[in-house]
Amino acid sequence: MATRTIRVDYIARVEGESALDLHIRDGKVDAAHLAIFEPPRFFEALLRGRGFREVLDIVARICGICPIAYQMSGVHAIEQVLGVAVEPPIRALRRLLYCGEWIESHALHIVMLHAPDFLGYPDAITMAREHGAAVERGLALKKAGNALLRLLGGREIHPVNVRVGGFYRAPARAELAALVDTLKAAQDQAIATLRWAAGFEFPECRRDYEFVALRHAQDYPMNEGRIVSTAGLDIAAADYETEFLERQVPHSTALHSALKRRGAYLVGPLARYALNRDRLPAEVQALADEVGLEPVCCNPYRSILVRAVEVVYACGEALRLIVDYEPPSRPFVPVAPRAGTGHACSEAPRGILYHRYRLDAEGTILDARLVPPTAQNQGVIEADLRQTAAARLDLDEDELKAACEQSIRNHDPCISCAAHFLTLRVHRG
Amino acid sequence: MSEGCAAGVLVAGIGNPDRGDDGFGPAVARRLRERLPSGICVVERAGDILALIGDWEGFAHVVMVDAVKAMGEPGRIHRFDLRKCGLPIGFAYRSTHGFGVAEAVELARSLGRLPRHLVLYLVEGACFEIGVPLSPAVAHAVGEAAARIVEELASRSAAETEEGERA
Repeated sequence: MATRTIRVDYIARVEGESALDLHIRDGKVDAAHLAIFEPPRFFEALLRGRGFREVLDIVARICGICPIAYQMSGVHAIEQVLGVAVEPPIRALRRLLYCGEWIESHALHIVMLHAPDFLGYPDAITMAREHGAAVERGLALKKAGNALLRLLGGREIHPVNVRVGGFYRAPARAELAALVDTLKAAQDQAIATLRWAAGFEFPECRRDYEFVALRHAQDYPMNEGRIVSTAGLDIAAADYETEFLERQVPHSTALHSALKRRGAYLVGPLARYALNRDRLPAEVQALADEVGLEPVCCNPYRSILVRAVEVVYACGEALRLIVDYEPPSRPFVPVAPRAGTGHACSEAPRGILYHRYRLDAEGTILDARLVPPTAQNQGVIEADLRQTAAARLDLDEDELKAACEQSIRNHDPCISCAAHFLTLRVHRG
Repeated sequence: MSEGCAAGVLVAGIGNPDRGDDGFGPAVARRLRERLPSGICVVERAGDILALIGDWEGFAHVVMVDAVKAMGEPGRIHRFDLRKCGLPIGFAYRSTHGFGVAEAVELARSLGRLPRHLVLYLVEGACFEIGVPLSPAVAHAVGEAAARIVEELASRSAAETEEGERA
């Protein structure tokens, strides 16, 4: 039996550090493992014994790209325990803050991490020599998203302004109004980015994913909604652990998630869009139609278009929220500790992020559970890799490695969240 | 360029003050605030390194200060004129979220957005553990780096005055 081993020691343009092992035996892909070797960071254990007021500053440290997602899932879960209801302006400010994170995170991935795959460049730096305008647009979008995070979060990395019951400080109308011109320009840049990406050549690929995302009665989902899937799942966040499980695998320090009844599933932009396209404003749907984005997109390579649509949406939504903004009567409502368990799911840029906290009567965290989107997507990423490799076994080693890396980047994995640098090892036999 | 930075000079101390020797850049920035004439803008940056490109806008002369992994002599200071060359291999490093100073500089070079003068001072670190102070050799180098930057900016200012007078 012949065995061939191919090894890529570092996969670039992903957030964090991990390796890929591809085992090929007798001309067939035997196994494809996304091996996350970044040491576990024990955030769930670290939260035990802490007061509920400390949680949001601790979980914001989990990720430099999507700290808002951690703060939003966290704040909703804890407020559920404490029976807190926030005023509509606080809800609007939280949604506006999330818009900022979607814009900066998606813009980074679309332009700096993913686009070079389609245009044949090793990185965004090389790509910038011939696609300077596109890169400038990406940087401007990122800056606009960061401006929202800085104003509402206090700073763009690991923001500090979110608290249980609201915000430490709510902005004045004039402070938000000062961002309108920036966001209008960002909206134009986002549309140009979508049209630019629509011109890429996408590999033919159709995957039979079960998409899982939040669905809200009116809104394209960010902070609220039921967990739904294309296979008919429709549950509250409190029932997440009834339907989903996490399991250890020998090759990864990140837990793998699965639907108990059906196995691997996909969260993130493709899922969100497939399940919520009707919640997008008509003009955004029209733009998606204009660039030929199908209502349910099962080609992971085309996820870059969905991210671009979501950036257009987030810019418009941010503008709407700013125009409609009436400052809250107070930046936060008072909260008092009580015992109980709270669950919440919010839509991080990469997909649903589930949090559960159990508090005692003094408000001390007895235990916590955090399930990030990348941990949930590992099964699908590995299935995609098997399919990608199986169809390209005739390629030479470097070409096969490049194809595998692109397949992983389709899902914008945030390895640092899931457990961090990707190494690819291919074993051929 | 913000108001109060009329000299067109920016000094950026880069790093996380809570990660041992990674706090070198911010420590030098703080030292320079006391020693540089007003009109020279001094900032500390720990987060989004790509935002550096935006920070440079409107500045003709930019000095960055950062720390690099241990390379044999903790506290040794290296100076690079990044208009003339990229960061040599061995000094190029990246943050876990994809973009470090080297990438920001090369991206700006690709986009034609490098400032007219761009200098990087790098110190060799010894320890980048969370929550520890600067290691003794690196703490000692803070004064030396600050003094070299003050001297560099003073000689630049003198040269420009001379050039102005000749004109």
